[in-house]
Amino acid sequence: MAEIGSSLFKGETKEYFSIALRNIRTRSLRSWLTILGIVIGVFLIISLLSLSEGLKSTITKQLKSLGGEMIFVMPGDMSNPLSMFMGGSKFERQDIEAIGNAEGVDKVLSMSYQSGVARYGEESKTIFLAGIPMKIGIEVLEKFQGWSLEKGRWPNTGKREVIIGQQVANEIFKEKVGVNTEITIKGRRFEIVGILNSLGSKSDDSYIYMDMSLYEWLTGEKKGTAQQVIVKIQDGSNLDQVAENIKESLQETRKRRAGTDTVDFSVITSEKMGDIAGNILGVIQIVIVAFASIAIIVGGIGITNTMFTSVRERTKEIGIMKAIGAKNSAILTIFLMEAGIIGSIGGVGGTLLGVFFAKLIEIYGQVHPLFYFAASISPGLIIFGLVFPFFVGCIAGLLPAKQAASMKPVEALRRFE
Amino acid sequence: MPDSIIKLEDVWKIYLLDKVELTALKGVSLEINPGDFVTVMGPSGSGKSTLLNMIGALDFPTKGKLFLNGKDVSLLSENELALLRGKTIGFIFQEFNLLPNLNALQNVMLPMIFQGVPEKERVEKAKRLLVSVGLEGRIMHQPAELSGGERQRVAIARSFANDPEMVIADEPTGNLDSKTGKMIMEILEKFHSEKKKTIVVVTHDPNIAGYSEKIVNIKDGEVVVNHHQASEILWQK
Repeated sequence: MAEIGSSLFKGETKEYFSIALRNIRTRSLRSWLTILGIVIGVFLIISLLSLSEGLKSTITKQLKSLGGEMIFVMPGDMSNPLSMFMGGSKFERQDIEAIGNAEGVDKVLSMSYQSGVARYGEESKTIFLAGIPMKIGIEVLEKFQGWSLEKGRWPNTGKREVIIGQQVANEIFKEKVGVNTEITIKGRRFEIVGILNSLGSKSDDSYIYMDMSLYEWLTGEKKGTAQQVIVKIQDGSNLDQVAENIKESLQETRKRRAGTDTVDFSVITSEKMGDIAGNILGVIQIVIVAFASIAIIVGGIGITNTMFTSVRERTKEIGIMKAIGAKNSAILTIFLMEAGIIGSIGGVGGTLLGVFFAKLIEIYGQVHPLFYFAASISPGLIIFGLVFPFFVGCIAGLLPAKQAASMKPVEALRRFE
Repeated sequence: MPDSIIKLEDVWKIYLLDKVELTALKGVSLEINPGDFVTVMGPSGSGKSTLLNMIGALDFPTKGKLFLNGKDVSLLSENELALLRGKTIGFIFQEFNLLPNLNALQNVMLPMIFQGVPEKERVEKAKRLLVSVGLEGRIMHQPAELSGGERQRVAIARSFANDPEMVIADEPTGNLDSKTGKMIMEILEKFHSEKKKTIVVVTHDPNIAGYSEKIVNIKDGEVVVNHHQASEILWQK
C-alpha cells in the first residue's frame, strides 16, 4: 500500500486517472451495470436512513410538545399491545377518581373518542369524535400540550358547540370548513366555533372535539367513563414517583371492585414514551443499515467481478505497459482507481436518488394524511453516501488490481497471440 | 573496444508445457556493443523471439547469465526491472501493441508518464517524435484510425520516448507490406545513425537484415553463425 501512496502524490496520478476513466468508458454497458449495483445499495441507505431519522425527529418533537411533566394512563396492558389497540376496555368513574386521589396529581383530564358520521354541506364523512371536559381541559391543553386556536373561540359548556382540527377544516371535506358554520354529527346539528392550529400529528388533527357532557349525550356512553386519562402533576413532584402512586391507587380500587390482581392498565410518563419510541426506531434503523449493507456488499462483489473480467481482457495491455516501463505500483494504481471511480459514481448516483426519493416521500406524506413528516438528510449522511462507496470500490478492486500488477510481462504479452 | 551493452553467457531457456520440457535456447552466448545495429535471424520456432524477450528484460534465463548495460538482470528487483525496461530499453513489437484507448500522442507519452517526466516536457517531446516519424497529421488519432504502417511509426516514436540505450524490435515489419516495411526500416536506420543507439531487430526477412551491421543467425535455440558483416549472409543466400 505504501507504493500506491507514493505514486499517488506524483504528477502521473492525473494520467493514471484519465487512463482508468477511459478504460471504464470503453466498456460502458458493463461499467454502468456495475455502477447500478452500487447505486441501489447507496440509494437504500440514504433514503431509508433519512426517512427513519425524519420519523424519529418527528416523534421526538411530538413527544416534546406533550410537555415533560405529563403522565398518560391507558386501559389495557402495554405488554400486550393487542389489548391496547382493540381498545375495548375503559376506565370507570371510580378509576378516574382513584387517579385523581393519588399523591402528587394536580389535574386529571379524561378523554373519550369514537368514530361517527358527520355531514358538512352536501358531504358525509366518517370522522373521529373526541370528548374532553372543556372546563379544566382547555387550561391543561393550552399550557402543557400546546393547543391553540387558529380561528374562533373555545366552546362553551352546555351549548352545542364543537372545535375541529386542521385536517377536518382543510382536507377531509371538499369544501373548506369555516367557523360559525353548522355541521351535522350523528344526525344532530352542532356549531363549529373554533379551528385548532395543527397539533403536530395528522391523526390528532382529524378530530372533532367537544365537551365531555356533550359527547356522552351524543354517543350515549356511560357518564364519567374515559378511554384515556392525562395527568398533570403538581409542581415540584417527581414524575416517576407520581406515576408509581397512580399505579398503586388504581390497582387498589380495582382490586376492591373486581377482586382481581391483574394489571390491565398502563401508566406511562412522557419521558418513557420517548424512550420506547426511540428504542423501536433504533432497532428499525439497525435493521435498515444491515439490509442496505448487504446490498452494498453485493454491489462490491459486482465491482470485483467486473474488475477481474477487465484484468483478463486487458492482460495484453498490462503486458505492454510493463514492457514500456510501468512499475507494478502503476498498474495497481490504475486498476484501483478504476474500481474506486466505479464506486464513486455509484455513490453519487445512489445519494442523489436516495435524497430525491426521501423528498418525494416527504411531499407525498404532506399531501396524504398519515402524519406530518420531514426527511432528515444530514450532511454527514450525504458525505457518507459520497465517500463510503469509493472505499467499497477500492476494497473490491484490490484483489483484481493485485492480480494485474503481479503479472509477468512476457506471459501477459503472449495472451491472445 | 567498449564494454558490451548486451551480454549473454551460456543462456538456456527451458519451458515446461504439460510436463514436457521444451528447450527454446540451448546455451546461447552473445555480446552486442553499444551503437551496434544487429539483426537476429532464424526460422520460426528457432528461439529468436525468446532471445529478444530476454534482451528486453521481459523474460529471464532458466540457466546462464544475462547482463544488460553491465547489470546482472537476475539480481534486479521488480522496480529496477521496470526502470530498466522504461529507460534503458525501447521495445517495438510485430503487432504494434499500442493501447487502443489512447491516441497517438498519449501512446508515445505513456513511457514518459511511467518515468515521471513533467507534462509539458513529455507533450513537446512526444510531438517532436511523432513529427520525426512523419505523423504530424495523425497526432490525435486513435490506433484504430491509423494504418498498419502508421501504427508502427507511432510504436517507433514510443520506443524512443525515454532516449533508451537500445531499441529492440520483434519482426517490426512482419505485419506490413514490403513498401511500408522498407519505410519503417529506413526510420529505424535514421534513428540509429542520428542517435547512435544500439538496435536489435529480430526478423526472418533477409531484406531487413540488409540494413544492419551485424547478423546473428539462430537455429534450434543455438547461435549458428555470428556474422560480422551483413553482406556475408546475404551473399550466402
